Amino acid sequence: MRMLKIIRAAQPSRLFFAVFITFALTSLAGEAASLKKIKARGYLNIATEDNYAPFEIMKGGKASGFTNDVVAELKKYADFKIRQDILPWSGLLASVRAGKYDCAITGSIISEERLRVFDFTMPTASAQHYYITRKGDDRIKGVKDLNGLTVGVQAGSVLLSRLPELDAMLKKTGGKLGKVVEYTSYPEVYEDLANGRLDYAINAIVSAQNLISKRGDTFALGEPVSGFGFHAYPVPKGNEDLLVYLNGFITHLYKSGKLAELQKKWFGRAFPDLPRQSIKSVKEFKKLTKAQ
Amino acid sequence: MTAGDYQMLLDGAWTTIWISLLAIGGGVPLGLVLSLIRVSRFPVLSQIVVLYVSLGRATPLLTLALFLFVTLPVFGVNIDKYTAGVLALTLNTASFNTEVWRSAYQSFPQSQIEAARATGMTRALYFRRIMLPQMWYASLPSLVNEMTLLVKASPAIAVIGVVDLTRVTNRIAAQTYEPLPPILVAGAMYMLFISVLVRLQRHLEKRAERYAT
Repeated sequence: MRMLKIIRAAQPSRLFFAVFITFALTSLAGEAASLKKIKARGYLNIATEDNYAPFEIMKGGKASGFTNDVVAELKKYADFKIRQDILPWSGLLASVRAGKYDCAITGSIISEERLRVFDFTMPTASAQHYYITRKGDDRIKGVKDLNGLTVGVQAGSVLLSRLPELDAMLKKTGGKLGKVVEYTSYPEVYEDLANGRLDYAINAIVSAQNLISKRGDTFALGEPVSGFGFHAYPVPKGNEDLLVYLNGFITHLYKSGKLAELQKKWFGRAFPDLPRQSIKSVKEFKKLTKAQ
Repeated sequence: MTAGDYQMLLDGAWTTIWISLLAIGGGVPLGLVLSLIRVSRFPVLSQIVVLYVSLGRATPLLTLALFLFVTLPVFGVNIDKYTAGVLALTLNTASFNTEVWRSAYQSFPQSQIEAARATGMTRALYFRRIMLPQMWYASLPSLVNEMTLLVKASPAIAVIGVVDLTRVTNRIAAQTYEPLPPILVAGAMYMLFISVLVRLQRHLEKRAERYAT
C-alpha cells in the first residue's frame, strides 16, 4: 500500500510510471529464489530500510536498530551468507516484489493490501495503533474525546487504511472521526501536531513510543485506536520454503530468549503474546487483529 | 545534530557531487553526438534519436532509475545501484542536452560555413575548427542550466538505495524527529555546489569568448 508513495512522487507523468512498473512487476513476479536455490548459490538477498526508528536507523553512517540486530542473529543462524541492501521504503516492496531481493527484513506492518502479494512471517513486534497528542492538551483524556478532532497520518499507510476502526469506536460513544490529513512521512505529521495544525496523530505503538522517548517534552502517548496489528517480514507469495525457514529462525530467537532481549533493548518492552504463525491470508489476518 | 550527523551529510554531499559530475561528463558529449546524428538526417538512426529524446524528456527520473535497477537484471544485465543511478541521470540529461546542441547547430550562420568551404576546408575540419567552438559558446548557458537542474533532480535516484545528500537528511530526521536542521545544512551544501558550477560557466564563457570572437 505504501507503494503508492512512489506513484505519487512521480507526479509529472504518473501514467509512464504506472506503465513501467506494471511491466516490471508482471514480467518479474516469481523470480525470487527458492530456499533450495538460495542454499545452492550460498546467499540470501535481503532488503532493509534506513530511516524507520527504532527498527532501522543509521548511527554515524552505520546501520543500527532492532532489525539490524535481528539480521546479525540471522547471519549466525544461517548456513548461507546474507547479502543486505539498504533501500528507502518507497522502492523497497516494489524491488522485493520484482524478485531483486528474496525477502524484506524490515519493520513493515501487515495489511490487507500487502497480503495480496506477500506472505508474512511470524510477527516480531506489535503494531497496534495509538493516538499521540501535544503534551498538556487537556481536551483529550481518552479515545472518546477524539470526536470531531483533526488527525494526521501517513498517506497510503496501514495507519490510514485502518481508521474506520477508530470511527467505529467513536460511534459507540456518539461521536465520529474528524478531518483526516495525509502526509508523505511522519516527521511532517509530528511538526504539524507540534505547531497546532493537527489535534492528534496516529502511529503504531513502537514508533509512537520511540517518538515519546525522544521528544516527550512536546508529545504524549494516548490509548489504542485499533485492534491488534503486527510488524512482520514479507516474503513474495509462492516461496513457502523461505517463509518456513524464516519462521524457524524466529522460533529459534524466541527459544533462546534473544527476541525478548532485543525487543526490550529497542522497544523498551517485550511482546510475548504475538501470534506464533505466519500470516498468509486476509481471513487469518482479520481473525488475529480483531479488536478486543 | 552530532558530529556523526555532519559526517553523514558530508558523505551524502560527496555522493551527490561525484554522481552528478559523472552524469554531466557523460551527458554533455552524449548529447552532442546524438544531436549530430539527429541533424544528419541519417535514415533510421535519426528517427531513433528523435524517439529517444521524446522518451527521455517525458520520463520522470525516478521512473527511469527504478526501471533500470529492477528490469535490467531480467535481461541478464546485473546492474548495481550506483551504475543504475549514474546511467539514469546520464540518459535523462543527455536527452535535454541533445536539444541544446541541436539548436546551436541549426542556428549556426550559413555564411561562415560557405566561407570555410570556399577556402577548401573539409566538413570535419570546419566543424572542429569553426563550428564546435562557437556552438560550445552559444550552448554554455543552457548546458549549465541543465547541469544545475540535474543536481537538483538527483535525489530521485535515492529510490534505488543510493544515499545522496537529501537521503541523508531523511536518515537524520528519522532519529532526531527534528527535520529542519539537516535540511537547512543540506540546502546550503546544494547552493554551494551549484554556485561552483555557475562560476565554472563564467570562467568557461570568458575562455570561449577569446576563441569565438
